[in-house]
Amino acid sequence: MAFNGLKKAVTLSPCVRTLPSGVPAAPLLNLAARAPADPHDHGHGVAGPRSDSTPRWVGGVSRTASGLASKSYVTLSPTTPLSARFLHTSVAVKDAPQVPDFSHYRANDNDSNRAFSYFMVGTFGLVSASVAKSTVTEFLKTMSASADVLALAKVEIELASIPEGKNVIVKWRGKPVFVRHRTQSEVDEARETKWESLRDPESDEQRVKKPEWLVMLGICTHLGCVPIGESGDFGGWFCPCHGSHYDISGRVRKGPAPLNLEIPAYEFNDAEGKLVIG
Amino acid sequence: MLARQLSKGPALSALRRKNPLSIPRAFAVRNASTASSSSAFESFLNSRLTLASVSLFTAGSVAWYTHLYGSLPFLGQVHASHASEEGLHPPDYPWPHAGLIDTFDHASIRRGYQVYREVCAACHSLDRIAWRNFVGVSHTVDEARAMAEEVEYQDGPDDQGEMFMRPGKIADYLPGPYPNEEAARAGNAGALPPDLSLIVKARHGGANYVYALITGYVDPPAGVEVREGMNYNPFFPGGAIGMARVLFDGLVEYEDGTPATTSQMAKDVVTFLHWAAEPEHDDRKKNGIKAVILFSTLTLLSLYVKRFKWTPIKNRKILYDPPVDKKH
Amino acid sequence: MSFSTTLYNTFFRRNSIFVGTVFAGAFAFGIGFDTGATAFFDRWNRGKQWKDIRHKYVEAAEEEE
Repeated sequence: MAFNGLKKAVTLSPCVRTLPSGVPAAPLLNLAARAPADPHDHGHGVAGPRSDSTPRWVGGVSRTASGLASKSYVTLSPTTPLSARFLHTSVAVKDAPQVPDFSHYRANDNDSNRAFSYFMVGTFGLVSASVAKSTVTEFLKTMSASADVLALAKVEIELASIPEGKNVIVKWRGKPVFVRHRTQSEVDEARETKWESLRDPESDEQRVKKPEWLVMLGICTHLGCVPIGESGDFGGWFCPCHGSHYDISGRVRKGPAPLNLEIPAYEFNDAEGKLVIG
Repeated sequence: MLARQLSKGPALSALRRKNPLSIPRAFAVRNASTASSSSAFESFLNSRLTLASVSLFTAGSVAWYTHLYGSLPFLGQVHASHASEEGLHPPDYPWPHAGLIDTFDHASIRRGYQVYREVCAACHSLDRIAWRNFVGVSHTVDEARAMAEEVEYQDGPDDQGEMFMRPGKIADYLPGPYPNEEAARAGNAGALPPDLSLIVKARHGGANYVYALITGYVDPPAGVEVREGMNYNPFFPGGAIGMARVLFDGLVEYEDGTPATTSQMAKDVVTFLHWAAEPEHDDRKKNGIKAVILFSTLTLLSLYVKRFKWTPIKNRKILYDPPVDKKH
Repeated sequence: MSFSTTLYNTFFRRNSIFVGTVFAGAFAFGIGFDTGATAFFDRWNRGKQWKDIRHKYVEAAEEEE
């Protein structure tokens, strides 16, 4: 029981009761009490009657300064003397609302904290940018030609197997490629032509890497036929489909073709005497 | 609870003890107290976190058991087949490339190619590997070109529409031992030697299984009969395999002088086949270690930045500061 | 002036310089990280990769010629 005695101070005694009618009543509280008129109320004025105050018709206990004045009930009094119920819902009132302590969030030194924050944010952006760049480049790499296509994309030709003044046609990426070993007279002829007045003006020097080797795609620039070698009015190629004439440098000289025969990418492997197309 | 709230002191308690019925009316009321009788244990039992973790633990234990023993716990199972028909489980071998950032041992790949070329290639094809794939992995360009030129490939058609034979280029794929599947079956008593390009990926146990298989030939145990032309291998599902043991000590002569024991050749050829199945293996691991470093750095940084951005929001205090009335 | 103040005044005060530093740094970091990771990777796998054993076969091929 000593334990109960200690507990006494903690448990608040009930101050509000519910009448058997169900109406809450607080006979010892003056529910009609109002705050005194306050010059600081900023024009809000006096509030209306409280909605939770007991209406007068319910009756109850009325007190005067001299003591109990009257005690009346409109409803039946409790059937048993023990059946009154008290409500106890009041919340403990605190002097000030509890605000959590955030002081540990504060930095000790504003300057270094600012620099550190910027540094971390900047590092975050830096690493993100680097990762994004790698991601994008790796993705773009998947769009380039795959290794097996690249492996087939080059054709090697033994130059020694082509005698002077002969044409060789090789297949490269499904297209014919003309390789001509030109004689010196053919080279002279190609160089002396007045190329400035041609339909697609190109000098022979622009079209070959070595004067004796002419390498070009064997596809007529008109509608894609394959021209015939060593024929035509200019000693070069002749397209049988619509009669385009190409000279010994593969430049269009006559007929409907709009452009000279195309030059593929190629290079010479002098060490092994090979021509690499692609 | 009731008693405790009612007890106003030792005097009242004494009164109550004397005669419970004589309690004054004022104290004999029932308190509708909303103070919860929370005990830490009860809230622990009722919390969602507990529920979720217990469910997760249960599901996890069942999954682990199933993973370990291959069947659900507490459920009896009857198998139509004996466990030996699924083959022995291969042991874990300490491959040089087993670690998270370990590359293939490329010298081993080179030796393994030699074993494949001299032993396996008699029956097994390697369709998906071209000569150019060896360049920069186990052979130089010149070696790959020389190896390709030893093989004749059909090409064409030429100007006359005829197919012709030409020496191989490095873009050509490795030739198979048989022209087609029927020829392969006919040459091996009806059993088709599988293509080895992806064999390490295509078998349970991967490299461990292939190694265990080619080194695991033993005499059949008592009671096991193997048909004529078949061989007993406990690692092969069913136990009877068409392929006979092929690797014996000293079968090949390595150019780098490594002693060609059976296990050495098996290890090399399995490394080679593993490379053939996963040529991207080394790059994959290199990119993997980079990605792990970068993304964990990004995670830590983003956690910091989140905290940095939320700090002013979290410790914001809203105060009402009423305006001052100028009249006073 | 402390180090942090110098850092702030040099890189962080103007947004253009800050963003520029971040992007330039991302470029440098990309190269540096790649180099570093590759170096570590090669160190870890020393003697196993093709570039470690290539010299044996290149020399052998040249001697034959």
